Amino acid sequence: MNNGFGSLLDRLITETAGSYEGESAWSLEYAAGMFGQFMESSLGHFSPELALCATIVCLLLVRLFGCDKCCQPYWVALFGSLVSFGLAYYQFTDLQQTSQSEEFFTGLLIYDPFTVFFRLFLLLFLILITALTVLSGIPDDEDAPDFYCLLLGSTIGMMLMASANHMLVIFLGVEMTSVPSYVMVGFLKGRRQSSEAALKYVVYGAGAAGVMLYGTSLVAGVLGTASLPEMASRMALLVGEAGTMSDPIVRTVILGIMLVMVGLAFKLSLVPFHFWCPDAFEGASAEVAGFLSVASKAGAFALLVRFCLAFAGNPEGTGTLKEIYLYLGLGLGVIAAASATFGNLAAYSQTNVKRLLAYSTIAHAGYMLMAVSAMMVILNAPAGSLHDPLVDANRCLEGLLYYLFVYLFMNLGAFAVVALIRNQIYSEEVSDYAGLGYQAPVLCVCMGICMFSLVGIPPMGGFFAKLVIFASVFKAGQVHWLMYLILIIGGLNTVFSLVYYVRVLKTMFVDPRHADARRADVPFNSVPGLYAVMVTVPVLVLGIAVKGLSETANQVASVLFR
Amino acid sequence: MDELSGYLFVGAVLFVCGVICMTTKRNGIGVLMGVELVLNGANLNFVAFSRFSPLGLDGQVVALFVIVLAAAEAAVALAIALNFYNNHQTIDVDRGNELSG
Repeated sequence: MNNGFGSLLDRLITETAGSYEGESAWSLEYAAGMFGQFMESSLGHFSPELALCATIVCLLLVRLFGCDKCCQPYWVALFGSLVSFGLAYYQFTDLQQTSQSEEFFTGLLIYDPFTVFFRLFLLLFLILITALTVLSGIPDDEDAPDFYCLLLGSTIGMMLMASANHMLVIFLGVEMTSVPSYVMVGFLKGRRQSSEAALKYVVYGAGAAGVMLYGTSLVAGVLGTASLPEMASRMALLVGEAGTMSDPIVRTVILGIMLVMVGLAFKLSLVPFHFWCPDAFEGASAEVAGFLSVASKAGAFALLVRFCLAFAGNPEGTGTLKEIYLYLGLGLGVIAAASATFGNLAAYSQTNVKRLLAYSTIAHAGYMLMAVSAMMVILNAPAGSLHDPLVDANRCLEGLLYYLFVYLFMNLGAFAVVALIRNQIYSEEVSDYAGLGYQAPVLCVCMGICMFSLVGIPPMGGFFAKLVIFASVFKAGQVHWLMYLILIIGGLNTVFSLVYYVRVLKTMFVDPRHADARRADVPFNSVPGLYAVMVTVPVLVLGIAVKGLSETANQVASVLFR
Repeated sequence: MDELSGYLFVGAVLFVCGVICMTTKRNGIGVLMGVELVLNGANLNFVAFSRFSPLGLDGQVVALFVIVLAAAEAAVALAIALNFYNNHQTIDVDRGNELSG
């Protein structure tokens, strides 16, 4: 048994990267060489995830041996995430020079700058959210190891989603993300609302996962492969044989693709699969809601991009095939416009801040989906209608990545302020925020900046991100007129959304505080105050210094179009 | 192809039964049983495709993974249902109506 495991490890390292041939005696150079060799193997490509797995085991052991009094679980979790972040950063700098794209673990996963970009993104978010839970103290000492295990496990699932290269990993990633999220939503055990939110989430989520799996079985079965890079050629072959869209076999595949999209739309909380989102967010604690709204969306978008590009990544397709993908892209655009509109309209009448932010999350998923839809439309434009479709498609993805990055900070900022204010006044109702601007100015100003960025007002980061996405939707409008309509709907939505964000800010800064209301006391130089400032500053920086991130995003996205 | 379509038909029937069960049942456990039907319909598809189409062993591997994942999901879902019962003294999903708007 031991021998078998040892030889398996040996094969995973040496057969994928070759054994290290250098100085044989142990020295610092030898260790560095071995490390470099290890990082080139399959296990090395997977090392950030492995570090998180090891952290989970450590968390369980710490409690098993009763060390959690002297070594708090959050230190273990933070340390593990930092190590993992360091490994991912090493990979990122390494890849920026070579910008290679390599399949590993026998083609189940793919290692390219896009994967590593999302790993960095998710791990950065994991570190920030862990710090937030330490500040707000939402998992009590008793439950902290369990909570961090779930948080780390869910993040591993998202990282799998971002590096998926096989239908099995798509399903595995989605489930690995969802199952811990169900538990985290219901983590406040004694609360009626929390248990109700978890039940609704698990019922809808399990249903969506089942539907998605059925779709996967149809796609993989009819095309005869489960590997994403082979999908496009098999599909072209199938449609080429049939010649029309009305062929039953082609229809079966399209049905399968749509069912997979249902599962992804559920994860992204897009209309009409958004029911769970407001309920889950209201019942869960603000920290968990923030985690679901940013990290789980980012992972699902990475997966959606990979899935779409597996089919439509090649702009030299035949007529019928292009038509199918063009309609898929337009369908995504319609869903995007519907989500943005519905999310913004429903947010008007909300009295609970978390519920309001949940609807705002739905609307933002809509804006981000517009980028994916524009990418699909541009890639499948009739030949000659666009000068260089690949460059334009690249711009779409650049917009998506930029938006996600700004969204991380602005949405985390908003949810963090909600959590920190809850710790002071024990309420999450908008009406209870009246006059808080004078008692906790630093939190409220941070909330204001994040909300203006969510609307998309310059000079916040949200403005530039929206601008890039709308520009690519405009470009896609040259292919099909419907995209112009979607652009107009998106623009109008931006204006509408101003109203409900400003309503919260007006309550905070203009309305007087009730005399008998609880005092909130968060001075600027307290740790929570500094945390809120730390999360909010990047929102401003990303709005002013756009060059660095947008160039990186462009470079990262370009690897998908080769 | 004929042999394959028989299996696919059974898989589709399971899928439809599962979806109907998920949408009409009030009882939380009933809904979860619907989910199991859907998952097993998909599993049957995978195994049938792996026997009769070029999908090969991939299909069977996916089926095995799905069985494990379904067990994990059922464990979590039952725990959440139990928690809901403890707080609400019922397992009727329609009685969860405190969150709305």
